[in-house]
Amino acid sequence: MKSRFLSVLLAGAMVASLSACGGAATATAPAADAGSEAEATTDEEAPAEEADSAAPAASGEGVRLLNGKPEIDQQLQDLAKLYNEETGNTLIVETIGGDTNASDELKKMYQADNMPDIFVIEANQADTWDGMLADLAGEAWTDKTGFELINASMGTIGFPYTVEATALGYNADVLKAAGVDPASLTSPSAYADAFKTLDEKKGELGITAVLGWCAEPANLGWSSGTHVFAQYLDAGLKADDTTYIDLLNDGGKVDEKRMKDFAEFIGMMNQYSDPELLVDGTYDQQVAGFKDGKYAFITQGNWCVTSPDDVSFECGFAPYAFEDGIDTIIAGPPSYWVAYSEGNVDGAKEFFNWCSGDSAQNILVNQAGLVSPFDDCKYEAVNPFYKSMKSYIDAGKYSGWHTMLKKDGLQNVTCQVFADYAQGKLDADGFASTMAQVIQSYYAN
Amino acid sequence: MGEFSVMRKTASFGCLIAGLILMIWGLAMAIGKTGNTLRGGALVVGAVLFFAGLYLFPTFKHHRTIVNIIFLFPLLFAFAVTVIIPLVLGIGYSFTDWNGIKMKGFVGMANYTRMFKQPGFIWSILITFLFVVFNIILVNLVAFLLALLCTSKIKGLGFFRAAYFLPNLIGGIVLGYIWQFIFSNVITKFTTALFDARYSMLSETKTAFIGIVIVYVWQYAGYIMLIYITGLNTIPGDVLEASSIDGANATQTLFNIKIPMIAPTITICTFLTLTSAFKQFDVNLALTNGTGSVADFMGNYLTNGTEMLALNIYSTAVINNEYAFGEAKAVLFFIILAVVSIVQVRISNKREVEL
Repeated sequence: MKSRFLSVLLAGAMVASLSACGGAATATAPAADAGSEAEATTDEEAPAEEADSAAPAASGEGVRLLNGKPEIDQQLQDLAKLYNEETGNTLIVETIGGDTNASDELKKMYQADNMPDIFVIEANQADTWDGMLADLAGEAWTDKTGFELINASMGTIGFPYTVEATALGYNADVLKAAGVDPASLTSPSAYADAFKTLDEKKGELGITAVLGWCAEPANLGWSSGTHVFAQYLDAGLKADDTTYIDLLNDGGKVDEKRMKDFAEFIGMMNQYSDPELLVDGTYDQQVAGFKDGKYAFITQGNWCVTSPDDVSFECGFAPYAFEDGIDTIIAGPPSYWVAYSEGNVDGAKEFFNWCSGDSAQNILVNQAGLVSPFDDCKYEAVNPFYKSMKSYIDAGKYSGWHTMLKKDGLQNVTCQVFADYAQGKLDADGFASTMAQVIQSYYAN
Repeated sequence: MGEFSVMRKTASFGCLIAGLILMIWGLAMAIGKTGNTLRGGALVVGAVLFFAGLYLFPTFKHHRTIVNIIFLFPLLFAFAVTVIIPLVLGIGYSFTDWNGIKMKGFVGMANYTRMFKQPGFIWSILITFLFVVFNIILVNLVAFLLALLCTSKIKGLGFFRAAYFLPNLIGGIVLGYIWQFIFSNVITKFTTALFDARYSMLSETKTAFIGIVIVYVWQYAGYIMLIYITGLNTIPGDVLEASSIDGANATQTLFNIKIPMIAPTITICTFLTLTSAFKQFDVNLALTNGTGSVADFMGNYLTNGTEMLALNIYSTAVINNEYAFGEAKAVLFFIILAVVSIVQVRISNKREVEL
């Protein structure tokens, strides 16, 4: 009797497991999948039930958006709610959070035939999606911004949802106390003098070091390898000038003179940076040090201090003037929202137009803390760096984010050279030649 | 055949035919992307009907075989879906230029020849082997010493066993971050005071490599220790007693009695450490993320000084966006691991190890 019962139980378990397998297979319907995917990927701020309940509408005229910034997930959920209230259309926001990279997740979604209608890409990923993104040219929002992403083969593909800037962020109060005028920082010699002055007055100004610059490669490689390296590619150039990125993408060529000047400047940064931070610091240490007023400069962008409550001083940007006359910061959208051409393109277009309007910008700027890329946006961003950013953008003194167009993964190679330079294993000439060599061999392999 | 009722025959054939039709219909709808939501249900019901029909199939001779197949099916199906099919697909992809999204065409052996021209990859293979050698020796040595300690007559044995085993329960990524903090913020305090070496040992390739070995030994020795403890406990008490009556001291007992008696355990532990060290990924990722420079290797300045094979494959595919190339490297990795495992099984079988 017992064995009969056991066999029935086993058989039951087998059938159940079979149907469970089959059940998962049925979930390939777009509507059902929206729910399951959202459940798997949204972080706790966006409860799965919410996405689930909204999912059935997706098969109709709803639009699914894959967001790559987990920190603004809640604000985008609010945006979706408002979109629904104002237009009656549905927007489902799915967020890829934490360490999962949006482009990895998109590859899985593509293989599973479960693509969102709108998703986030960085500029150099456009070619990966060649022929699969909708051309948004002629949409009303494109007249209000100069930051859209234009691709040679697919046309206007990217909707800019934010503008970010990177340069040498400074603590204006400290500079003022030391008698350094940030507007004068447009040449290496001006920087040398300013750094020297600040260094001599460290005790008096209450700062630990002149710079909060960290070249640690394992976790902060993106900062040195992508953002600081961006200055070599773009500093001083007009936003549409692609001289050095074109050179780089032509088999990894480097302009020797420019790289040498850049190397000298980085050497100066190494010299005046906080030694506790320089080689094995973390992003948190770096940002906390700047917020606490320990450093006069920081090598990050406007994302490092997002709320006015974080700092008790005025913030601004100064250019990486490693050559005489460099007076631009790098500003522009680091990533874009694009519409999948086989998805709900009309719905996506409609959303983009609404999103560039007043009520959406209100949420994105005032709640999410983003900087609007649209000319007619009447909201001033709360970001402490905003004023300085805007002054550069209004004066046309901004360069592009062409660093995003370098070969995938190059930052993991270059960041190590920055780290070796910071440790003193290389001198300025060594840095320039090693940089040229590793870049070239990376492009060759 | 005559012993089966017409009912049974009808039910069996009916179920088989209906099941097949339903499954084919469901699959056709799925492949044709009709969007019909019945397709999954049709597939499942079809499969269940098919197996019911198979079970009721009017035969005495093959009934047991059929039942065996039905019971084995879920496991084989899962094994095929999660292991066999991906393996075959992966090998297939390694001959293409697939980037995770699109495949433009076949490139033949190009990915395989290319990887051997990449100094960074050759370096990864070398340090992986080096890491394996270091680990086999250190993990086993440390684990054996811990096992000796935990089989002696000290107080609080349970506590020590648990404490040594505990690191094994923490995931490698978490361990990596914990130790990164220790290396960068705690150890530097001592090295600054003693040798005026301010920078973390993770910032230098050689010391970072030692760092990974330390963390790995710390994590894995407790696990191997448990196996050694089991081995040591199986040594018959009368042998030990006889040796002590004969006047053997502790060292003699250890080298002449205990170690020879646990030789099979040593084999097992050696191979366990061997394969797991080969597959090292998480600690490597969290601790150094493969960074570290090598000034001159095959005429190149390398920037992936501590990047082991598994991490190299991951960054090739995911970070550098070259999925097919990563697949080719993974195939090579698979071959290396398969050879090691086959040797392991052969030797283990020969020695007729009893755990």
